[in-house]
Amino acid sequence: MSSNKIVEVRNLHKVYPSGTHALKGVSLDVYKGEFLVVIGLSGSGKTTLLKCINRLEEPTAGSVKFLGKDITHIKGKELREVRTHIGMVFQQFNLIKRMSVLNNVLAGKLGYMKTLPSILGNFPPQCIEEALKNLDIVGIKEYAYERADKLSGGQQQRVAIARSLMQSPKLLLADEPVASLDPATSNSIMQYFEKVNKELGVTVVCNLHFLSLVRRYATRVIALKSGEIVFEGYPNEIDEKWFKKIYGEEAEEVEIR
Amino acid sequence: MLDPELELHPKEKILRKKRNQEKIDLVKAILLDSFFVFYTILVCQRAIYYKVILDLRELPFSWNEISVFAIISLAVGFIWGYSRTSLGAKIMGLAKETKFAKWSSEIFAWTLFNLTFIAGWLVTKISIIDLFSKEGIEGANRIFYALFTPEFGIFDDALFAIIETIYLALIATLLSIPPTLILSFFTARNLMKDNWFTLSIYYVLRIILNFVRSIEPLIWAIIFSVWVGIGPYAGMIALLVHTIAANAKLYSEAIESIEEGPVDAITATGANKLQIIWYAVVPQIVLPFLSFTIYRWDINVRMATVIGLVGGGGIGTMLMQYQGLAQWHEVGLIVIMIAIVVWIMDYISAKIREAIY
Repeated sequence: MSSNKIVEVRNLHKVYPSGTHALKGVSLDVYKGEFLVVIGLSGSGKTTLLKCINRLEEPTAGSVKFLGKDITHIKGKELREVRTHIGMVFQQFNLIKRMSVLNNVLAGKLGYMKTLPSILGNFPPQCIEEALKNLDIVGIKEYAYERADKLSGGQQQRVAIARSLMQSPKLLLADEPVASLDPATSNSIMQYFEKVNKELGVTVVCNLHFLSLVRRYATRVIALKSGEIVFEGYPNEIDEKWFKKIYGEEAEEVEIR
Repeated sequence: MLDPELELHPKEKILRKKRNQEKIDLVKAILLDSFFVFYTILVCQRAIYYKVILDLRELPFSWNEISVFAIISLAVGFIWGYSRTSLGAKIMGLAKETKFAKWSSEIFAWTLFNLTFIAGWLVTKISIIDLFSKEGIEGANRIFYALFTPEFGIFDDALFAIIETIYLALIATLLSIPPTLILSFFTARNLMKDNWFTLSIYYVLRIILNFVRSIEPLIWAIIFSVWVGIGPYAGMIALLVHTIAANAKLYSEAIESIEEGPVDAITATGANKLQIIWYAVVPQIVLPFLSFTIYRWDINVRMATVIGLVGGGGIGTMLMQYQGLAQWHEVGLIVIMIAIVVWIMDYISAKIREAIY
C-alpha cells in the first residue's frame, strides 16, 4: 500500500521562535494523483503544514516522508534535489516583478541547472520551448515577453503555475492560490489546477477558503483547527454540523479572546 | 522524541520569558538612574558651582571626588530605580502608576534638560555683545562686501579646480560600487542569519563598517594626505572609504527590506543560494542601489569641496589658499561657483532618481 503514498506526515509539530505552536501533532498521508484540499481558518496552520512539506519551514518535531524517503532533516544538495520535484504556488503569486513572464517561468528550472549558466541566463533552447509550452497550457503564451508586474492578478497566478510546471513536479503545493483573486478568476485558476491534476497527473495539495470551491475540485478534504486535524474525509461529507465544527466554534473562541 | 519545550504550555513559556525580561529591564533602569544622578551632580559642581558661582578659570579635578560622586549616584539610583518611581523605570516601562512616581520622574526629566541647556550655553560662551559689537559689524560688512564683489580674474583657475572636484567625486563614487555591492550581501541579516559562521561574518563586518563610517571623510582625508601625499588622490581615497562604508549600510538595508515571497518561491524550485540571490534578491534591489549611488555622487561633490580644505585637492584647496591670504574677493568667486555646481548636481541627481523610479 505504501507505494501509492507520495507524502507521509507523522506527528508533526511546529513551534515558531515567537512561541506560537502552529502545528500540534499533525499526521496525514497524501496519495498519488489525488487533489487534496486543506481547509481551516486563517492561523489554523495550513500554510505552515505546506511549508513543512517542502521544508521552507523547519519542523520542530515529527517526520515528513516524500516518496518513501525521510526528508525531515536532509540538507544542502539532497534537500534541493527533493525540492525540484515539489512545485509551489503562493497566495501572493511571488513572481519576480521586474523580469519578463518567460524568465519567471524559466526560473522554475533553476534547480536542474548549473549555477553559472543559470546566472548568465543561458537557458538551453529546449528549456525555452518547454516554458512556452507551459505558458500555453495556462493560456497566456502571448504575454511571454511582457514584464510580470504588467499582468493582472489572475494572469500572474497562471505564470506561477507555469513556473512550477517547469519543475516537472510530482507534487504541487498551492497555498491559498485564489485568496487574493475575485470569484470568477478564482474559478478559472482552480480549473488550471484541475487540468494539471487530471491531465498531467500531478498530485495537488491545496489550501482553500471557499467551501464551494472545495466541493467542486477536491477529491479529499482535511480540516485543520488551531494546529490539529479535526476532519478527514470527502467533500460531500462536510455538512452543516462539520462546517460549524470547523468554522463556527472557532469563530466563537476568537470572539472570547 | 518530543522537544521538552513543547510539553510546556506556550502561555507559561511566554510568561517566563516576560519575567526574565523584566529583571533585565530593572537592572537597566537602575543603571540609567545612577547615570542621570551622576551627570546631575557633575554638571552642578563643574559648570554651575565652579564656573558661575566661584568663576574659576582652571577647574580642579580629582579622582577621589569623582568616585565619591559615583558611589552616591549608584546608591541613589538603586533606591530610586528599585522603588520603581524613577525616570529610568519610566523609560524602561516599569514605573508604578502612583502620583509620586509620575511627579518625581517628570520633574527630574525637566531638571536634566534645563541643566544640560544651561551648561551648554556656558560651554559655548554665547555672547550677544560679540555678535553686535561695533568692530564685529564692521568686519562682517567688509567680508560680505568682498564676497558679493567677486574677483573674476581667477575664473579659469577656479573652473579647472571645480572640474577636478567633480571628477574626484565621480571616481570615488564609481570605484566604490563593486566593493560596496559585495559587502552589502555579507552585511544583510536576512541572507546571513542561517548559521553561526555567516552570522559572525555579518557581525564583524558590521562593526568594522560602523567604525569606518563614524570617522568623517574630513578626517580620512587628513589620514590619507599623510599616507599618499597632499592632493586630489588623498581626497579621492578618503571619499571612497567613507562612501563604501556608508553605502554598504544603505544597500544592505535595502536587501533586508525586500519581499520574502519571491525568495520563498525561488527556494521552493530547488535553486541554490547563489541562484536565489540572483533571481529573487538582485532584481528587487537594482533600483534602490542605483538611486543611492547617484545620490552619493551628489553628496561626494559637496564633501569634496570641504575635503579640499585639508589638502584633498580641487576647489577646496584653492578656497583655503585664498582664505589664508585674506583675499576675500577671490574667496567670493569660489564660494559662488561651489554654490552653483552643488545646486546643479542636486538638481540633476534628483531628476535622474525620479526618472529611474
